[in-house]
Amino acid sequence: MVRKFCLALAAAASALAISASAWADITILVPSGSEGDGLRAAAADYAKMKNTKVETVQAPYANVFEQGANAGATKSGVFDIILMDDPWIPFFAENGHLEDLTSYFKGAGVEGPDNDFLSKSLAICRNPYNSGPYVCLPYVGNAQMFFYDAAKFKEAGVEAPKTWDDVLKAAKALTEQGGGRYFGYVFRGGQGNPVVADFMPIFWSYGADMFNADRTKVTIDTPEGAAAMKAFMALRDVSPKGVESYNANEVGTALAAGTAASSINWPNWVATFEDPSQSKMVGKISYSPIPAGTKPGSSEIGHWTMGIMAASKNKQEAFDFMMWATTAEQIKISAERGNPPVRTSVFTDQELTKQEQFRHYPVLMEAIQASTPRPRHPKWPEIENAFGIELSKAVAGTISPEEALKNSQAAVEQITGLK
Amino acid sequence: MLKSDKDTSAKSLRRGGGLEHWAERHLRYLMLAPTVLILLALTIFPSIYMFYAAVHRISPNPDLPWEFVGVGNFARLLSDPQFHVALRNTVVFTLVAVALEFLLGLGLALLLDRFIRRLSFLKTVLMIPMMLPPIAVAITWKLIYEPQFGVLNEIMFLLGLPVQAWAGDVNLAMFSIIVADVWQWTPFVFLLMLAGLASLPVEPYEAAALDGASSWRQFWDLTLPFLKPVIAIALLLRVMDALRLFDLVFILTGGGPADRTKVLSLYIYQVAYRFADPGYAAAISLFVLFVTIVLSTWFMKRMRLAE
Repeated sequence: MVRKFCLALAAAASALAISASAWADITILVPSGSEGDGLRAAAADYAKMKNTKVETVQAPYANVFEQGANAGATKSGVFDIILMDDPWIPFFAENGHLEDLTSYFKGAGVEGPDNDFLSKSLAICRNPYNSGPYVCLPYVGNAQMFFYDAAKFKEAGVEAPKTWDDVLKAAKALTEQGGGRYFGYVFRGGQGNPVVADFMPIFWSYGADMFNADRTKVTIDTPEGAAAMKAFMALRDVSPKGVESYNANEVGTALAAGTAASSINWPNWVATFEDPSQSKMVGKISYSPIPAGTKPGSSEIGHWTMGIMAASKNKQEAFDFMMWATTAEQIKISAERGNPPVRTSVFTDQELTKQEQFRHYPVLMEAIQASTPRPRHPKWPEIENAFGIELSKAVAGTISPEEALKNSQAAVEQITGLK
Repeated sequence: MLKSDKDTSAKSLRRGGGLEHWAERHLRYLMLAPTVLILLALTIFPSIYMFYAAVHRISPNPDLPWEFVGVGNFARLLSDPQFHVALRNTVVFTLVAVALEFLLGLGLALLLDRFIRRLSFLKTVLMIPMMLPPIAVAITWKLIYEPQFGVLNEIMFLLGLPVQAWAGDVNLAMFSIIVADVWQWTPFVFLLMLAGLASLPVEPYEAAALDGASSWRQFWDLTLPFLKPVIAIALLLRVMDALRLFDLVFILTGGGPADRTKVLSLYIYQVAYRFADPGYAAAISLFVLFVTIVLSTWFMKRMRLAE
């Protein structure tokens, strides 16, 4: 009784907090930044076209997760659609916050999303990964790429970096010449999500992974993990002082201001680097897939996906909107608004690819197809936090890389209950 | 008309007034009702709810029942290394930041007490940091500390000094947060001390001067004892506030690097919202509440003894 009362009160409070959206036909929760702006613009177009009311609620990255989780836990139904970062999907799906889309596809006379979507983009929208029912549709095709100043790398004797050894060779030379004002490499070393996001591609490119194939063992503290950590520490040594506090903005700024020669980054930064009002490096930054270690390189996928909240009162309307917003035509419009696409036809659309601002599309498409998702686990936020603390300690030099691996192994085992 | 008839008539008038008279009789309760309801909704109910949540394991799945765990969430505190780190950092921050704010605030108040009439604009200038929203202060300091483009490192570079990572350096991160907090909240202590100094009696000082007591002697034997209640209030308010530190850490360091700036408020936020474990977050919050109450009680007792 008390619990029901509490839940009702919490739901009422949430509903009051966003009362403006209560009268909308569809309410969408989106993150701040280009991804959210793109969907907001699409929602406005849809509202005009259908003469309906589509409300978007915009919040900073972490708050989208919190508000979505709160709406799910209270079954408040204040949001009909949530634009999710893909590693959140297991949490939302396995805690019953997301609607299974199977019956809606059947109602629309199709089996599921069409084959024009990239296979890796669709795989993340199924829970369990690539095998379960669809719980969302991909909207923004994020996957990391390797960004570098080709002229500087050439000066340092590396034509086009294919491996982390190539990157390290060039970065070392450039940092040595830089006199403390210019660096060969820069990365997100901030504790938690930032450092994990920039470490995972290196981790994978040395053959390491967080779990074994059938997810029965944690496999962080392995020889492959040690090799990845060794490469990561070598890159840290050629990065700017204070990189242990860097997030996307600091890394992006360093590249755009021309004070760092290379980094792993997300494609939505391309627009900034190619904008003369924000960048000194217009036309000078090259894009490539993630370099190889002992294995082929693999990007971390970071798609933004749309799911219907299980407590939504307007599920069919929400599904209709999602289907419309992810058509090839709308994904192309979204791409023109600055969001990387998720469809082959848009990636290869010559109207786009002939433009300078989309010259990275072939590389990005390759990066998505070679990408790896962050480990699919409902406790990923907690796992990422624990791993991020140990990586941060290693980057800051308060513990050895070996200790960081050992501690991470123990922490993730404790969180997941795996031994 | 007989007296008894008058009484009866007055009573019947009062009774016969109906709703109007009832409202008149209960007006004070009616006037209080909105406040009581708001208090119940915003303070009493959440407090009871927090106690209730703290003894349960709460799944983020609304279809799963809450599991009663008794003191289980509190027992977790003993073996949770992240909680221990957050507690240690909170204690370090509170002790150092409050001590610095107190010393600087008192020092500034003593310095300006004599000149404040002539330099009253200075009081306004000194108050500015305190009036800024904490989030704006945090973003400003983030820009100041920025390792590559921040103004602090630009100055260091121009002076030929080694540039530092400031908020990103394990050895400097907590210090950087303390500096930002001291910048914002020293004016608060300064204001209280200045008010305390303005209310000091003149006679004891005149007598002390006649006895030939030095300024230092006067400060030690008169000013400090007279200021004790104000000092206690200032320290109490600042300690309570420091235990709740969140904005600066969230914006400047996110608890890093290497967990060096993770404080209890940040950890509670992470547990509640990132790890979706509100029962355990409620237990940590209750711990902080308990510490704050114990500290406040101890302070108030000391203050009464001092008086």
